[in-house]
Amino acid sequence: MFQKSPYITVIVVGLLLVCCGSKPTSAPSTFTALTDSVHIFPDYHGVTIPPNIAPLNFMVEDDDADAFVVEMKATSTTLVVGATSDGKIDIDSVAWRQLLTEAKGKALTVKVYAQRSTGWVCYQPFTIDVAEEPIDAFLSYRLIEPGYELYRQLGLYQRNLTNFQEAVIYENNRSFENDNNHCVNCHNYQNYDTKRMLFHVRAAHGGTVMVNGTEAHKVAIRHDSILTSGVYPSWHPTQPLVVFSTNKTGQVFHMYHPEKIEVLDEASDLLFYDVEANSVRHILRTKEAMETFPCWAPDGKTLYYCSATLPPSLLNAEGSELAVKYDSLLYNIYAMPYDSLTRTFGEPQLVVDAAGMGKSASVPRVSPDGRYLLFTLGDYGQFHIWHKSADLWLMDLSRVPYMGQPRPIHGTTESHIWDTPTQPAPLTDANSPAADSYHGWSSNGRWIVMASRRIDGNYSRVFISYFDRNGHAHRAFLLPQRDPEHNTYLLKSYNVPELTKSPVHVTTEQLKHVVLHTESTPAAYEN
Amino acid sequence: MLDKLRKPAVGRAFFFCITWLWASWWMGDVFRMAREYSFVAPDSVLMHGLWQQSFGSLWIVGRILLTLYRWPLVGGLLVALLLTASTWLTAYCLRLRPASRWHLLAYIPAVAWMSWVAWRGLNLYYQREPGIAFGVLFLGIVVLALDAFIIWTFKKPHPQPLSQGRGECMPQQSPFSLYLSLFILALLTLSPFFITHLRHPYLRPVTKMEVQMLREDWRGMVETAQANASLSYRPLAAYYAIALVQTGQLTDKLFEIRLDYDSLYVKNWSGNADIGTTYYLADCDFHAGLFRAATHTAMEQLTMNGPSLHDLKLLTRLALLDHDWALARKYLTILRRTPFEGDFVKRYSAMVGDSAAVAADPVFARVRLTEPVTDSFESFYQSPVFLGYTAVLTAGRSMQALQQSLMANLYSKRMPDFLMRCEALVGTTPPRSIAEGLVTQTTKNPAIMQAFPQLQMNVQMFRSFLQNVQPYMKDRAHAGRELFDQYHGYYPYYYFFGNLKATRKSDNKEHASSNAGVN
Repeated sequence: MFQKSPYITVIVVGLLLVCCGSKPTSAPSTFTALTDSVHIFPDYHGVTIPPNIAPLNFMVEDDDADAFVVEMKATSTTLVVGATSDGKIDIDSVAWRQLLTEAKGKALTVKVYAQRSTGWVCYQPFTIDVAEEPIDAFLSYRLIEPGYELYRQLGLYQRNLTNFQEAVIYENNRSFENDNNHCVNCHNYQNYDTKRMLFHVRAAHGGTVMVNGTEAHKVAIRHDSILTSGVYPSWHPTQPLVVFSTNKTGQVFHMYHPEKIEVLDEASDLLFYDVEANSVRHILRTKEAMETFPCWAPDGKTLYYCSATLPPSLLNAEGSELAVKYDSLLYNIYAMPYDSLTRTFGEPQLVVDAAGMGKSASVPRVSPDGRYLLFTLGDYGQFHIWHKSADLWLMDLSRVPYMGQPRPIHGTTESHIWDTPTQPAPLTDANSPAADSYHGWSSNGRWIVMASRRIDGNYSRVFISYFDRNGHAHRAFLLPQRDPEHNTYLLKSYNVPELTKSPVHVTTEQLKHVVLHTESTPAAYEN
Repeated sequence: MLDKLRKPAVGRAFFFCITWLWASWWMGDVFRMAREYSFVAPDSVLMHGLWQQSFGSLWIVGRILLTLYRWPLVGGLLVALLLTASTWLTAYCLRLRPASRWHLLAYIPAVAWMSWVAWRGLNLYYQREPGIAFGVLFLGIVVLALDAFIIWTFKKPHPQPLSQGRGECMPQQSPFSLYLSLFILALLTLSPFFITHLRHPYLRPVTKMEVQMLREDWRGMVETAQANASLSYRPLAAYYAIALVQTGQLTDKLFEIRLDYDSLYVKNWSGNADIGTTYYLADCDFHAGLFRAATHTAMEQLTMNGPSLHDLKLLTRLALLDHDWALARKYLTILRRTPFEGDFVKRYSAMVGDSAAVAADPVFARVRLTEPVTDSFESFYQSPVFLGYTAVLTAGRSMQALQQSLMANLYSKRMPDFLMRCEALVGTTPPRSIAEGLVTQTTKNPAIMQAFPQLQMNVQMFRSFLQNVQPYMKDRAHAGRELFDQYHGYYPYYYFFGNLKATRKSDNKEHASSNAGVN
């Protein structure tokens, strides 16, 4: 008779061995030390990380090895993690937390051992600095296929940076439905707080969803006098006010060019929206200039924005006429003082003369202490995520003679006035040869998050850079994922990474109800 | 003999053979391409979009079954087994006895599924979820199996004489009714063949050409198209043109098939009738050397339909052509996770980081010849861009680029643009179709003969053609079909009788650029 049981036992044990793998659990006692650096993905060599970040799982790239051991050492604690031939290091979150607590303000030393046919080898150790200052725990972003005209499944998501949890803020309809297809974009929060937020819904069920605490409603910021509707938003840091740009935007596709797409504005203005009154008015409405990407200073007394002056030949240009001159549109960054009593804006002042450098600036973001202006600088245009030339630049506002007055640094008694402004400078260590664009500060001003295409040139990923007290941005690291290959498999881009201190208060169901089952309330237009 | 035929196993064996034939030979290439436009991988990130859809898990099962169509004989075997099993389960659930007059009902679910699949045609996967067909089949089998299990569990046992089977208790069918049953069964089983043949006659040739394209069997594609030359459908013409480009026969053979374009009977995502341009657009852009446009189309498809093997493979090639190694590696890593794509991954992984290997690839080398030399924007040209752009080309990097431009103008019947570009050929002997195109213009433009005196014979032939077709000129739409057998391949025939629905817009209006949304 056929004896089943031994075979079954062998099969089950074999399967268990295959499933469980044979991860080494301790560092080898004998090994050959190599002079080579280890290739890991994501590359965490020499980065500085927040003390509250999720485990930096990574994958060792060594085809000759069958097993790996990683040893991470703080002052007295050592964490040892093993991996099978796939090289994926999955760090225990509790042990990681203990390690970071001990390494806060110091460095972790990382040793990678690889088991080759000739025996164990050890690569050159590398360090990971652990900063004192934490990063805001929540990061929200949109996931969508990169660029192009069509969209299908997309949504706004919220990642807890202290672990790997990703929650849905809002997702559009999952299946194609003519009457329900819609896009969501431009999520924005008031001063890192999720009590007040907004995002736009385009196509079916269109409008702008405004969130106030646990309430949400939909408004239509449209009028005959407004170019399109509210587009790029910026919440006033304390008041229920939002400045939007309104942009007439189009997309064109290159036929033979290192870049793939150009996103162009034919026209753009700035709008002032009062949330409580549901009223909107123009701040700037000019034909000869295109204003976009507004950003409030943290004290709420200054509004920064980008503007490009159209050459006279392009004043009445539309569509293709403008498209052929796409590389002649250069945006500068301006600032306007805001009087909260009269709700009026003063005269615009040039802050960053990018055009004078033969460049173009976009997405101004002021650090929470009001001292630094972070922006993207590229060769032309304003939608820099499609420009390989795009890098993050920084300007020290404390050295700008702003409207003839000493400029206070928000939250301090310090103030400066300088005869000549310093020139903006690139964040060399944080930037990459690929497009580095949409960015934001953490609420403590010590971290910069950015969307960057540095991994593969096509898909935007979130990178985080430490910004030290000397105004120096450190080498950026990729947002850690449980599976180090997550970003390889993901065929969507991360858009508009925004840090917040807390999770979004409204539920996905509430937002779905508002989007799908309520009508937009039209905003009143004030002349 | 009759006794043997009465046995249910014989009917099922007959049905199994027919369905295997249908699923592997008749529909093999169709399902093979459905697999190419599908994607499945053991990864939650990659399958997230599909998983979240209603019935997403069922469609994933359908896609898994579809993966076996890497080898249509194997995939067909599975389908035939499932369909045959469905007949047994249906018979069991409905308590159909082999000799009863209703026993043919057992075949109805299987035949209905086959007919539905045949009726859908290209919409089996084009602008539709490719896992639906096999997902539904799987669900049907599961439902029938559960039903049968419940019946088996709760049925009351009833004593039977040991010497008698159940069938022997029933009165036997007469020979006539037996043969009639078999005839009806054959008719039922053959109905899906007829549905495909009558409603979607292009489906098998087009998918066959695509499978040949996967193997880079360009000559095979030409032969398939020419064997079906009287069919006139856009995808057929598109893949024929691609094969001609790759074999260097575009200027000789483009007009050898009908180019009038009958309805495909397919619908787009919105449920509206569709002419199928997006089906072949990315492939045509790629083979026309328009890599940016091909990337644009492939990315749009990837966005709308989710990842597919077809789009990921095309994007891999495009990334390699762009020397975008990291991007190519990303797509190859994804493809490595899908079943049975080892050959593709191995071939193209070897090119990552090796620009010399990319340059040495014969297909890449061919498409590079027609790559643009200057930049502009896609929206400046008539759609589809592989025709719109190529037709107005003013500078190219090779003779092939000029020839493609000339052929695009001949196809679009843009004769002033065609003649202007022919100036570059003065002093040479133009290829066949270009020469024939030139002679159609000699009556309006006698200077052509001074520039191309060697076309005297062609002119005489053209005059003779005009005399012969004069009676047909009043009703060219109908005459075109009638004259095709006699004149196919001859450009003047196409000029006067072919593709009469083709637009003749000579101006290149910009479209969509300003209205295009940004996500």
